[in-house]
Amino acid sequence: MSHEEKVQQKIDSYLTQLRRSLGELPPDEVSEILKEIRGHILERAEASGELTEERLVAILKALGSPEQIAPLYQTDALVAQARASLSPRVVMRGIHRWSTISAWGFGLFVLGVVGYATGSALALAGLLKIFSPARIGAWVGPHAIFDIGVNSDPAARDVLGWWLVPVGLIGGAVLFLVTTRVLRWTLRFARIRRPTTA
Amino acid sequence: MVSTDRSSPTENWETQIRKGWLELVILASLWKDKLYGLDILRRLEAHSELLLAEGTVYPILGRLKRDGWIDSEWVESDAGHPRKYYWLTAAGRRRAATMSRYASTFLARIDSLIQPILAKEER
Repeated sequence: MSHEEKVQQKIDSYLTQLRRSLGELPPDEVSEILKEIRGHILERAEASGELTEERLVAILKALGSPEQIAPLYQTDALVAQARASLSPRVVMRGIHRWSTISAWGFGLFVLGVVGYATGSALALAGLLKIFSPARIGAWVGPHAIFDIGVNSDPAARDVLGWWLVPVGLIGGAVLFLVTTRVLRWTLRFARIRRPTTA
Repeated sequence: MVSTDRSSPTENWETQIRKGWLELVILASLWKDKLYGLDILRRLEAHSELLLAEGTVYPILGRLKRDGWIDSEWVESDAGHPRKYYWLTAAGRRRAATMSRYASTFLARIDSLIQPILAKEER
């Protein structure tokens, strides 16, 4: 392998590694980042006259390792994305990122899981009521105080009847929306900065 | 580039200080000129000792742009690869001015507090 090829290979492997570490970001953002970092390396290399392998190693070392740089992009970008999104998946991804560094983030992550799970359960109960009206209901009985779902207590009474269908579907959807809104709103307080390096 | 002793007990404190100042220093470097990343880095090298790894400046630029303090565009260069130029937005100029005023007052007060310590050490 010639000298130029070796140097080129080193640059490529650095950028490949950076791309891999940036995996979770949107592809257009990743290519923009790689373009900028590639420009940095090339320009530093040109300024150094004849580019030896040692010189390239020094340039990359001063730049910082991909593992060191990539998280600095991710923490910020994921949370920024989540702040602007209505998708529970994107919002929860941002909250999850926050939860890895802060107790607040963790608490909200749990809240998100509970909110979405309850919303799903409500909507599911509403949907199943259509297919299995005798077994699914909002049960109030002597043993279980209140229970939405499948009834196992013969003494329990279905208080909603067919109303469970609209209540479940709409209630579930509203809960989904409210959870998303609340989580997004709290994300504006997420002060996620560069983790440890400056 | 400044290397710090990893085992030094003040290392973490220094890192925090650097992180805190970096945003202002980057905004300040864009006060007069439209610059690309490496330009900004060269100015930071010449005028401050704030940076540990050069690569950190790029994510910060990304965040400053998302926050609306700066804007950017790609410009073709003679170097054969495009450069991403950054400049302050109107909001960014106001922010840089506010931060600078705060920093100046802050530094003067800290300085008056630590002068006795430095004077004693010299003796």
